[in-house]
Amino acid sequence: MIKQENEKLCNLEYLSEMVNGKKHLIIEIIDVFLKQVSEELELINQAIINKDFATVKNYTHTMKSTVSVVNITLLTPILKEMEELAEKAINIERITELNTTLELMCKQAISEIKTERVKYI
Amino acid sequence: MDTKTKITIFIIEDNDVFALALKSEIETVFANMQLSVHSFTTGELSMEKFNEEKPQIVILDYHLNSKDWNALDGIKVLDWIINKNKETLVVMLTRDDHVDIAIKSFHHGASDYVVKNHTQFKKINFSLLNFFKIIQAKNNSEKYLSKLKEYRENSKN
Repeated sequence: MIKQENEKLCNLEYLSEMVNGKKHLIIEIIDVFLKQVSEELELINQAIINKDFATVKNYTHTMKSTVSVVNITLLTPILKEMEELAEKAINIERITELNTTLELMCKQAISEIKTERVKYI
Repeated sequence: MDTKTKITIFIIEDNDVFALALKSEIETVFANMQLSVHSFTTGELSMEKFNEEKPQIVILDYHLNSKDWNALDGIKVLDWIINKNKETLVVMLTRDDHVDIAIKSFHHGASDYVVKNHTQFKKINFSLLNFFKIIQAKNNSEKYLSKLKEYRENSKN
């Protein structure tokens, strides 16, 4: 599931096109993304520890919108499965497994975006 | 398209990244128009500004209370908006591609419904374009009616 090092998870071209290449807007959106995605990951982690299915459902749902802005399409099926399981309040083991993949991919995405961000300064 | 008429748009969305990206996208795509775009993270916050700004268009998230469980959900906010001004054009946004949500939204007074997916911004822009045409048609209609009234009054004299 994790992409190879030379393969990129994020596609910032979509974001760049969206704002017509305006660098200050790209940086503003990237900064909000980096803050928000870290907060959402932390909240999902904590909710899994507490077996709080409702919070897992809410934040996996929200995160689908968050990652869509930087076009991380590979995360969508993971978040969708986590949300569906959480909605049914079943299979915390599978949710935990998916969350491990989610965290690894987000870590890679955050690293990629931080590298890309420099280009827009 | 009439680019002189000022149009106020409210984005009511609890996802900060999505709201910021959407606002930027709208302001970029419709840069030739007189738009005033305001973002709110809850329906309650938008209500405080509604009377003051009188938005013609509202882009409203269906799952508004995903972060703050005490916040009003999208349907309740939609009801409030339509009750306040039934002429407001509301596009309901959701990540759930369920026909029930679409029907419910239209039943409560939404003018359009967009599912959040990889084409989300294009669909929202298309909705906005249609809304702009509706607003323009209404404005033209009001102008013609006013001229007709004026003509009739002059004819009497």
